[in-house]
Amino acid sequence: MRFAHRLTLVPAVLLALAMFAVPVAFVFSEAVFTPEFSLAHFERFFSRAAYLSVYRNTLVVSAAVASICLAVGYPMALFIVGQPAGRRPLLLFLVLVPLWMSILVRTYAWMVVLGREGIVNGALQWLGLTDEPLTLMFTTGAVYVAMVQILLPIMVVTCYSAMTEIDPGLVRAARVCGASPFAAFRKVFLPLSLEGAVTGWSVIFILSMGFFIVPALVGGRRDVLLGNMIVNQVGQANWGFAGALAIVLLVSTIVLLGLVRLVAGRFLYSPREA
Amino acid sequence: MKGPTRRSLLAAAVVLPLVAGAAAAQDVEITYAGSGGGLAQVMDMLFDKPFAEATGIRVKALATTDRVSAMRAMMQAGNPIWDVAELTPVEYATASIEGWLEPMDWDVIDPKGLQPDEARLPDAGIAATYSTVLAQRTDKLPEGRKMASWADFWNVEAFPGPRALQDSVMENLEFALLADGVEAKDLYAVLATEDGVDRAFAKLDEIKPHVVAWWSAGAQPVQMLSDGEVAFTTAWNGRLTQLRQEGVPVETIWNGGAIKPSYVGILKGTRHKKEAEQYVAFMIGDPVRGAEFAKMVAYPSMVKGLYDNIDPEAGREMPTHPDNLAGQFVVDAVFWARNMDALQERWQEWMLD
Repeated sequence: MRFAHRLTLVPAVLLALAMFAVPVAFVFSEAVFTPEFSLAHFERFFSRAAYLSVYRNTLVVSAAVASICLAVGYPMALFIVGQPAGRRPLLLFLVLVPLWMSILVRTYAWMVVLGREGIVNGALQWLGLTDEPLTLMFTTGAVYVAMVQILLPIMVVTCYSAMTEIDPGLVRAARVCGASPFAAFRKVFLPLSLEGAVTGWSVIFILSMGFFIVPALVGGRRDVLLGNMIVNQVGQANWGFAGALAIVLLVSTIVLLGLVRLVAGRFLYSPREA
Repeated sequence: MKGPTRRSLLAAAVVLPLVAGAAAAQDVEITYAGSGGGLAQVMDMLFDKPFAEATGIRVKALATTDRVSAMRAMMQAGNPIWDVAELTPVEYATASIEGWLEPMDWDVIDPKGLQPDEARLPDAGIAATYSTVLAQRTDKLPEGRKMASWADFWNVEAFPGPRALQDSVMENLEFALLADGVEAKDLYAVLATEDGVDRAFAKLDEIKPHVVAWWSAGAQPVQMLSDGEVAFTTAWNGRLTQLRQEGVPVETIWNGGAIKPSYVGILKGTRHKKEAEQYVAFMIGDPVRGAEFAKMVAYPSMVKGLYDNIDPEAGREMPTHPDNLAGQFVVDAVFWARNMDALQERWQEWMLD
């Protein structure tokens, strides 16, 4: 039974090997064997200030976007969980609608909103708050706004599904035992929902690390992420250096997520265990 | 020694079809590595089908990308699966430096001498051209003035307004030097020196604060012009024609434009050299057929007599029209193939600075 049970994993493992492990191995071999075995591509990356600043920028933007999504998405999920069960599907539906549109379309939509002759500038000038159009497009701020808007639904859904796992009886029990509503939230609900929050943060962090279309379209000249550099190097047929960049990206993501789990693990309870 | 890289697998894949191909050797088919998409449809209609009718040689057109890696793999395997390839400037230059192309026998391909000298390269022909040009929104110009050169683009006092440039070191260095007073014919001699490159970057420093956007996809500058996001930007010529047709008040400044040819080359070691030459001759050698092609894709070849067969109004929208050609320069593909890596790195640092 147990063996037969494990067999159900075979298709998924085969798929992961063929579609992930093998391509990653190719990328890795491009990075160290082009043109012959050496770590020169990695040396080039870590010895140039420009590349290191792109690297730092990628980490900062990804962590910040994930954190902003958490700060906005967690309360949204909390609100939806607090609604009568009959109304929740509609609210979740509204959260998910933007996910049906391609990232490219949503990014171009931000150009319409934030442009010099866009909706925001039009409104500000109509209200008489500014005379000259403000520079909103091609800024770091625009990158944040667009990335948060694109990724936020993922955070809401992840937090929401963790919150629905929590037994409402536990919060009620805390209240019966005399905890104030805030204390019951902080001591019972928050720790139990943390798993979902950490998962949501991690997923958004991973996705942000690989973004390149959004910064290229709405960012300024300094808003370059590792993904943009990889596209650039592939465009010039520099497979070796592009492979090295991809490996740096992959390893950094894995290491950072390991750290996050390590730190967060000390505070996490699974709702089922409790 | 070398691990099983993506390329050596590709090389293995290159050899396999040969075994299968040997059986059908009677029936001649040549393989053309193109870009696919709408361009391939036009080529199929104007070149491939009529060519097959006239000669009995069928053309198998492939949609290809990253042709440098593919060609390297083929040359390592010693057997090209492509006979003829469409090449971007950097691809052509790499192939030319590496010796992956057959020499062109121009007496056979162009016996009537319809190709101008600059299109008769030792190992390739020019199939089409497009140009990166400066574009201006005419309704955003100061009263009674119009930009006419790169010096005007740099003159932010006479021509105030937001600007955009491509996020690309290629062409921008040339534009900066033109703005700084270098003549088009001297561009690459100046850029070949360390001082020349410094001079170009110093000139770019001047305009940097006034450039609000650095575009990376060809659709962006057109979008920004149409939205009023910028008043002046570089763009690809064909897209500006479309924008004008949509009624946006945009004017192309051909002076100082960078012509980038699309090259066509025959791969070294092909078993169909004769047929490949016939196909290239058919594709680029006839002004009437070339005119049909240019009317449909707006990227004209350089064949003489082309504009005798094109409506003058449409002709003036094209980069190789005699009126437009005068002030432009042809991007030196070989220079960029040799220097791209180092200059791109410097560009990236300059952009982040």
